[in-house]
Amino acid sequence: MIVTTRPRRTKTVQYAVLLGYLVFLGFPLLWMLSMSFKGPRELVQLYPSFIPEDFTFENYRTALTEDDHQLVRNGINSLKVAAVTALLTTMIGLPAAYVLARRKGLITRLGLGWILLSQMFPLILIIIPLFLLLRDLKLTNSHIGLVVVYVVWALPFILWMLMSYIRGIPHDLEEAATVDGASRFQILVGIIAPLLVPGIVVTTLFAFISAWNEFFFALVILENPDLTTLPLRLAQYVGIEGVVRFGPLAAAALLATAPSLILFTIIQRWLARGLLSGAVKG
Amino acid sequence: MRKVITLGVLTLLCTVLVAGAQAGKQASVVKLKFATYVWQPTTVAANKAIVESWNKSHPGIQVEIVPVDVNSVHDKLLTSFVGGTAADVIHDEAADIAGFTQQGYLANLTPLIPKTLKRTIPNSLWQTTNFGGKITGVPALLQTYNIFANMDILKSAGIKAPTLADPWTWPEFRANAKRLTTSGRFGVCWGLRSPTAVTQTMSLNYGGQFFYLENGKWTFKFGPNDQNVVRQMHDMIHVDKSVDPAATGLSGSAVLPAFFGGKCAMTVAGNFAAQSMILQSPKGFNWAMFPLLKGRTQEQVANPQTYSISQQSTNKQAAMFFISYLVNRQNLAKLALGDWLIPANPEAGKLARKSTKRTGSWKIATESVVHFRKGNWVSLAAYPRWKAEVAQPNFVQYLRGSISLEDLGKNLEDGWKRINGR
Repeated sequence: MIVTTRPRRTKTVQYAVLLGYLVFLGFPLLWMLSMSFKGPRELVQLYPSFIPEDFTFENYRTALTEDDHQLVRNGINSLKVAAVTALLTTMIGLPAAYVLARRKGLITRLGLGWILLSQMFPLILIIIPLFLLLRDLKLTNSHIGLVVVYVVWALPFILWMLMSYIRGIPHDLEEAATVDGASRFQILVGIIAPLLVPGIVVTTLFAFISAWNEFFFALVILENPDLTTLPLRLAQYVGIEGVVRFGPLAAAALLATAPSLILFTIIQRWLARGLLSGAVKG
Repeated sequence: MRKVITLGVLTLLCTVLVAGAQAGKQASVVKLKFATYVWQPTTVAANKAIVESWNKSHPGIQVEIVPVDVNSVHDKLLTSFVGGTAADVIHDEAADIAGFTQQGYLANLTPLIPKTLKRTIPNSLWQTTNFGGKITGVPALLQTYNIFANMDILKSAGIKAPTLADPWTWPEFRANAKRLTTSGRFGVCWGLRSPTAVTQTMSLNYGGQFFYLENGKWTFKFGPNDQNVVRQMHDMIHVDKSVDPAATGLSGSAVLPAFFGGKCAMTVAGNFAAQSMILQSPKGFNWAMFPLLKGRTQEQVANPQTYSISQQSTNKQAAMFFISYLVNRQNLAKLALGDWLIPANPEAGKLARKSTKRTGSWKIATESVVHFRKGNWVSLAAYPRWKAEVAQPNFVQYLRGSISLEDLGKNLEDGWKRINGR
């Protein structure tokens, strides 16, 4: 009797804690959803209600149509920049991570040290030299320039992540393939890559979301409003001295969150596998 | 055959001539970039309309708007200046252009400003953008800090609203705030999350400048004039208990729900908060914006929005023509109405008053122009850093009651020595 009750109680507590955690995580999103359907007067009520009293789509209409549908244009820009960044980062990161994970020697150690070191410079320190470099390459105010920066910015972390996944794949598999006459490239594409799919998904997703959410580089590099990305658009709802256009901001922020949420939902299976795979060592 | 060749040659010649004429026409068009941080939809629309009308009426000088995020103006401008990609016309504020002027990024507008424009703006405002004889910005729009009151609560307490002729003094404000404080209500909800601007601006009521020129060097001093306003604010929170202490940690706009909900009778905010009162207050909410508080005077520090010309611009004269157009009476009134800010040109203020129904608050706002004075801190290049690193945290600590007035003065002075001494 005691044996069967304890696990049930434990499970109940576990589920209660999990539910509490889910509410904690999901509440800001739900509150944002609620705000996005409220009018300007209801948004500053002293005792706000969760369910909007005067339900309105006005905030969505404003967010989507304001400035000649600027939000939509900025959303397309973000999608373009984030997708290309994710693709390029993974394409460059995968072979580099393989070499760094499998080759041992002074150059590898120096390379890893340098990658780690490059992560230690604060953003504010590198932004002006980076801007000057992009200007000389005529890449300011262009998506290409922004993608180059995002790839460079995301690559060190991606490399470390992919390296840990590659190290988790037994070396014996590659040795067996070598014995069978496979080349390095064939091993990478035919043996390593399929086993790394979860890791690749996770790193691609990381690169995508980093680029999707990034604000400061986009602020400095982009000038033309037709080229700007979503985070810059969202910032325009926040004005001086804490004055915020809460309604349109909530609507626009919710629309901006949607692609990431959908992407997560689709590939969460891979994500869970990838996380587990990365956690296993040796 | 000969006819065909002649026709071909003539066609080619015509094409070359037309193309040449087109190229010549395009080359003679001056293109200006105008970096602006307007963000309220009404002002964005007004700004766009002004630029469009300029472009239509001035085919030889075409202006392109470059939007800048209102909360990242300094960073964006700095990188563009350093990178040599700065816009020709720069929208900023007086306190921020001091540093850019010192670094040589902004053009001296003194010889470029038309006499007519010079006359339309009071000299006290030109002083805010005059750095050692060089004017590097045209003052455009300003804000004051005013009391907003729930008139129903005031009437029920038998308190009369102040008038332009008879404004409240600080002691009257304190006394009324105390009278209006009951068990379920505070006299004032004051959003003091970032208290430096409001404190220093209103300190001029008692002549408090905080920074004084001594032996050719700007020195921080915290004498009785400088202490007066911040001490009274502190005492309202901790001695009178007429200011809601919970609200002091919020921004000016974040206290509005409490004000609208009747949890406090008054709030102190920038005059532009009138826009929120109109758009967001509950239907039938009876509010009023009061004239500037009076210490020894009603003076407040002017830190106007400014229009400058980048030193890198190759079309400074054309840029000045555009600025003159941008701040003419009609256009400045449109921009002022969009942001609910006070136009530097009093004539534009009168025009703005005529174009709105809320004449009461606009009258009070525009009549305030005469009380604007130059604050010494506005022209100090090291001021923005001192404000962010030293003043904000120390004013917050003092108003929370964590440090004494003496400690506040010492910390502010030490911080200035550290930052300015570098």
